[in-house]
Amino acid sequence: MPGFDFSNYNRNAALHARGVPLPKATSTGTTIVGCIFDGGVVIAADTRATSGPIVADKNCEKLHYISPNIWCAGAGTAADTEFTTALISSQLELHSLSTGRKPRVVTCMTLLKQHLFRYQGHIGAYLVVAGVDPTGTHLFTVHAHGSTDKLPYVTMGSGSLAAMSVFETQWKPKMTQDEAVELCSQAIQSGIFNDLGSGSNVDVAVITGEKTVLKRGYVRPNERSQKLKSYIFPKGTTAVLNEKIIRKEDLGNYVSVHELSTTEEGGDKMEVDT
Amino acid sequence: MEFGNSGSLSEDGIHVDMDRLKKGEVNLGTSIMAVTFKDGVILGADSRTTTGAYIANRVTDKLTPVHDTIWCCRSGSAADTQAVADIVQYQLSLFAMTSGKPPTTQTAAAIFQEICYANKDRLSAGLIIAGWDERHGGQVYSIPLGGSLHKQSYAIGGSGSTYIYGFCDANWKEGMEEQDAVNFVKEALKEAIKWDGSSGGVIRMVVLTAKGADRHLYLPDTDYSVRHDA
Amino acid sequence: MVRRRPLTPSSSFPPKAPCFHNPPSAFRTPNESPHNLGYMMQRVTNHHTHKTTDVHRHGLRSRQLHLLPDGRNFQVEYAVKAVENGGTSIGIRCKDGVVLAVEKVVGSKLLKHSANKRIATVDRHLGVVYSGMVPDGRHFVDRARDEARAWRDTNKTPIPTADLASRMGGYMQAYTLYQSVRPFGITAIVGGFDSELELPVDGEVGYGPSVGAGGKAPDKKHGGPFLYMIEPSGLYWGYYGAATGKGRQAAKAELEKLDLGGAGALTLEQAVKEAARIIYLAHDDNKDKEFELEMSWISASDGPTKGKHQEVPKALREEAERLAKKSMESDDEDDDKKDDDKMEE
Repeated sequence: MPGFDFSNYNRNAALHARGVPLPKATSTGTTIVGCIFDGGVVIAADTRATSGPIVADKNCEKLHYISPNIWCAGAGTAADTEFTTALISSQLELHSLSTGRKPRVVTCMTLLKQHLFRYQGHIGAYLVVAGVDPTGTHLFTVHAHGSTDKLPYVTMGSGSLAAMSVFETQWKPKMTQDEAVELCSQAIQSGIFNDLGSGSNVDVAVITGEKTVLKRGYVRPNERSQKLKSYIFPKGTTAVLNEKIIRKEDLGNYVSVHELSTTEEGGDKMEVDT
Repeated sequence: MEFGNSGSLSEDGIHVDMDRLKKGEVNLGTSIMAVTFKDGVILGADSRTTTGAYIANRVTDKLTPVHDTIWCCRSGSAADTQAVADIVQYQLSLFAMTSGKPPTTQTAAAIFQEICYANKDRLSAGLIIAGWDERHGGQVYSIPLGGSLHKQSYAIGGSGSTYIYGFCDANWKEGMEEQDAVNFVKEALKEAIKWDGSSGGVIRMVVLTAKGADRHLYLPDTDYSVRHDA
Repeated sequence: MVRRRPLTPSSSFPPKAPCFHNPPSAFRTPNESPHNLGYMMQRVTNHHTHKTTDVHRHGLRSRQLHLLPDGRNFQVEYAVKAVENGGTSIGIRCKDGVVLAVEKVVGSKLLKHSANKRIATVDRHLGVVYSGMVPDGRHFVDRARDEARAWRDTNKTPIPTADLASRMGGYMQAYTLYQSVRPFGITAIVGGFDSELELPVDGEVGYGPSVGAGGKAPDKKHGGPFLYMIEPSGLYWGYYGAATGKGRQAAKAELEKLDLGGAGALTLEQAVKEAARIIYLAHDDNKDKEFELEMSWISASDGPTKGKHQEVPKALREEAERLAKKSMESDDEDDDKKDDDKMEE
């Protein structure tokens, strides 16, 4: 049977009840946001991937392609956001091909929520779905358990509180594209600087009726700067106390050396179809 | 996902977690209600959606159409109630197409109940179904957590409802005029929002009559006194 | 989907009819026409040959039944012939209910009197009577009960008569489409009374509020008596008076004389008496055979059956039969008089 195997779930739960700590799933502490403007929608994300306390990737991509006019920002378990968006992207393309119509954002959102609801939160994908289709501009959030919201501006991930504070103080209706991009960028930076789980750069995707522009590294506020001093040590910094030279021929005095043949005798020779 | 550490290890070694909501699940700590009045029925709800202590959505629409003049108020898990409402919406549109007539509120309530009862151990959904149809006029059905079905002249639900049982009992009257019924719903929800920490935001309403569905929106900025475009 | 139904051995019916099943035409060469219809039919058969083999290769057992070039289907027409030989069934829809009646031809003196009922109850408020092949009718009733049950399961409310007729019409039509099955050898009359009351949903807890709901459409009546007749083709119409079986022509002529839809429409009890009279009159052409009259009725919830489909009580049925026989005698007297007049001339 393809798909997920939950056979260890009950075992883990029983062990946990006996006091055994559970393994932690790798997740991306994240800030992702989305904002509608007059004529399209912007989504943005930070680029930090974490594995417990370790920064696993300093410049990962959290904006996922669904279709040319629909993109997704993902928070939660990294593998789940990656594979869930890829799966729905595939289904949507096949659906688009068989109906001969452009994919719609609501369709994408419905496929995602039904998929995630089926797995009752075990697929840890928290997504911001954004796009422009023949019915207009749309922005949704989809939670791992399968609930959805439709709002003019949204934030998700561990940095969502920091990002939301930016939207709640600076958002206004009917923004221009540049204003929306700037606001989203500010919201992500708020997450990068104030949330431990978020960091590195700001990625932005701008979706309009005509085209989608992915601005990878739109802001790089954490570039490694030139080091103020050089830490290269000049030769001779370490003092030489004594010196002894061993020749190759004398190596046998210290270690035993055996020559190994490259072909094993008596072994079956590989045969090509006879 | 993380595991809650409540519950106990039962004898067969299987951990049974009695927590209704899974950790991190989006919750509709809610105030919802529906009342019958002279010409039909009115549904009302607050707009707060929470994940733990965080308000995930402050302008949520908890009034969901499942047919032209049959709507439902959702409380409990957002994911569960959305999934159930989506299924019922599909079933009713199929019914309307195949039978060539609009479904009754009874039919809608029956389908809701079937799903809620059959999956009672998997769902946390407290629903109020209200609708208008030509034969029965306005009707209100309540489906609480276990999946039972109750016909009522008015129904209140969600965490905020506990604060307004007395208010509703004292103030609801049979056969109210539309404006009186709207005011009754609004005043009740104002109290629920005032006293319940899990309820808040705007007040949304839907009036269902022979004329169809009419949406109301009231904002806290003006103490819910002015009707805005929904 | 067609639920496969055991095919009853067709004895001598249809007489001398070409058999569509034997041999299965998938094994036939294109030039072997199963019957003698001339070149037109041959052309149609040829035309579809490539499809036939294709379907056969895919292992599908049921294949489409070919339509004749003039748009007819022999199988359906033979089924109608079977119905035309069956005992007469009628249904009357009057202002306050529905009456179903059947002329049950007694095939043997060994059969127990008033046993082997021919009118069936499908749901509390629904009855069915049919003419033609009794086993087919039995299966029809089984399926109708399944449909009524399924409707209750999903909608938690009784199935309206119109919807049952629609479902059963669709079911019978499906049996005209495939070579692996034959159409039903019956015409069924479905009678029902859709409740005029506001019934609670099945599974509702308690009695609900004592006050009524607001906003009802005023002066609109709901529910009422309904009558449908479904033919072997799957065709069905709603009727005030329906008749099928051997005596249908005579029965229809009598039904047309009754006021059923108008202002002074028949009452239920009058309709019972008319139904008995019509069955006796329709039997007149079939005098050599014994028959039993079986009747059922359905009234509103404030009527004699309280919205349920029930057999007409013995006392009323016997009274109706007495009146029916009396009317037959007076008719005979009239005939005799005419004959006498003629003799004298």
